[in-house]
Amino acid sequence: MNNEWLNNLRSRMDDHEEDVPEGLWDDIRDELFSEEDKDKMITGFIPEEQHEIGNNNGHKVVDKRLFYCIGGAAAAAVLLFFVLQIDSHTDRPETISQNADGLKEKVKKNIGIENPQDRGSSAAEDQMSTGASLAETTIERTLKKINDIQLFSKETKNDAEVVQDIATVPETKVETRQETEISQKPLLVEKAEDEPMKRKEAEEALFTPEKKKEKYAENKKSKPEKSWMLSMLTGNASSNVAEQQFPGYASMSGKPMNIEQVWTTSTYDDNPLTEVLLANQSQPVEAKIRHKIPVTLGLSLYYNLGKRWGIGTGLNYTKLTSELHSGSHTNYIKGVQTVHYIGIPVQVNYNVVQKGRFTGYVTGGALVEKPVGGNLTTNYVVDDEIKETTKESLDNKSLQFSVNTAVGLQLKVIDRFGVYAEPGIGYHFKENNALNTVYKEKPLQFNVKFGIRLLLD
Amino acid sequence: MEENKEQILVKHLLMKEEAAWKELFGAYSGNLTYICSRYLTEKEDVHDVLQNSFIKMFRSIDSFEYRGNGSLKAWMTRIVVNESLKHIKQNTDTKSTVEIEDLPDLPNDEEPDFEEIPKAVIMEMIQSLPDGYRTVFNLYVFETKSHKEISGLLGIAENSSASQFHRAKGLLVQKIKEFKMSKKAQYE
Repeated sequence: MNNEWLNNLRSRMDDHEEDVPEGLWDDIRDELFSEEDKDKMITGFIPEEQHEIGNNNGHKVVDKRLFYCIGGAAAAAVLLFFVLQIDSHTDRPETISQNADGLKEKVKKNIGIENPQDRGSSAAEDQMSTGASLAETTIERTLKKINDIQLFSKETKNDAEVVQDIATVPETKVETRQETEISQKPLLVEKAEDEPMKRKEAEEALFTPEKKKEKYAENKKSKPEKSWMLSMLTGNASSNVAEQQFPGYASMSGKPMNIEQVWTTSTYDDNPLTEVLLANQSQPVEAKIRHKIPVTLGLSLYYNLGKRWGIGTGLNYTKLTSELHSGSHTNYIKGVQTVHYIGIPVQVNYNVVQKGRFTGYVTGGALVEKPVGGNLTTNYVVDDEIKETTKESLDNKSLQFSVNTAVGLQLKVIDRFGVYAEPGIGYHFKENNALNTVYKEKPLQFNVKFGIRLLLD
Repeated sequence: MEENKEQILVKHLLMKEEAAWKELFGAYSGNLTYICSRYLTEKEDVHDVLQNSFIKMFRSIDSFEYRGNGSLKAWMTRIVVNESLKHIKQNTDTKSTVEIEDLPDLPNDEEPDFEEIPKAVIMEMIQSLPDGYRTVFNLYVFETKSHKEISGLLGIAENSSASQFHRAKGLLVQKIKEFKMSKKAQYE
């Protein structure tokens, strides 16, 4: 049998071409490359076989652009962090104006209840005016940093005017001057206390991006791979500072001090609490617990389960700080509770849209957090002097469960890195014996997480 | 040793660069469309199979070994053929192949002469073959598979492959004759 015709036919047709189906490349590109982008960021499509092949194959794909873009990504993160930081600063004027408000009320009360010759009332008036002017100067400073808080400062200025009106009520005695001098001190000290806090926060803000950079450096060396994804995040429950107010005295748990506690402590003369109590005898007292914005840092690993789905787990660190201010303005108990949590999240991601460099997704999951350490520092302040400082560690180790859901938007910076922002809500299940934290006070929290994702091998 | 164009392309393909894959697509998609169309007559099927083939190439490019010029094309062709066969197996019920017995015996062992037939017409002729014949014919002629290999690939008896090929050949001979007749008629 002669096979010549076969060979002829084969060689003749060898280079034959047919019209390529319309839109074929677009479909392939969508499937491979936009999909790959998603892989790198959120979900994975490249299957395990690829994974194995990638491991066996020693080829190195080190993109030089990587180095340039890491800087960019980190810079973006820093910027974001500062924006949020400024955001949180805007809370301050509010509290200042609240202070002014509180003082005003006190003054009014004093005027109303006590007779005008009472030295206490005039003392309070003077105290008020100094307090207000201090508040003003503080705000002016803050204004230099932040432009968008004029509203608050106006409020406080108004308050100050009212206060000045009240202050014109006559009847001042020599003694009151002395008291005014004394009362000025605590305010200054408080301000001084505020300053380091700000600095600390700024330091934190600076520190976290640095950490990220370090991590980048580690990751840079690793070979790229498609299915696994590392993500670093920092979270922020935006404008979610919770404040609890109680009449009278309260402990950090938020429970009012019981009579026994007050009574038994008052029998010891050298007890700082007694001093606080005695100093405040004729003054209205209230307790304020201010829960600060949780600071979260996390590292997570995602594995892609097909085109749109992905699951992830990781490790989260959260720091919760609460401040207690119990007593009057000059004589008070100041407590700072810091709790450190280490949490393990389990997240499920679903890609909703993918447009160019942007990916929209929804995510949901659960988080178990365990307090790994915590302490409560209590300062007893009488006439603005810290009489005693006690520090105790918190040994409450009950687990904190929470569920969360969020929508995220991710921007691909370069092919391996992306930045994302994830506004969402979380619900923390209340445990009765748990520490009094922002989680307990506000179980339902809105938060914004943002971070960086990168793909690794 | 100098790397040739193909090797350079492969290197970039390995990096999963979109531009490289686009280039590969541009260079080979026409030929691969032809290969795929030999097996599948429906445009939609061709589209799907080619898409799957490229995805498969993308994922398994790591396993590609360069063995001289043309090896990339051969590798791609192999994938497209495999994908086409897979598609055929998935989408045709086993009985759809025309029963051999139903067809009239072919008059002779005449060999088809494609010399003067335009390629597009050859293509049409191949496509017009009954599905089963066409598959066997393609594998035997273009993929240079033996009947034994074809029987293994398609899950048919070896002699069934041989006779299907034989009949396909016969049908083509007829078609060529018809084509030449019509050509002649046109000129007259």
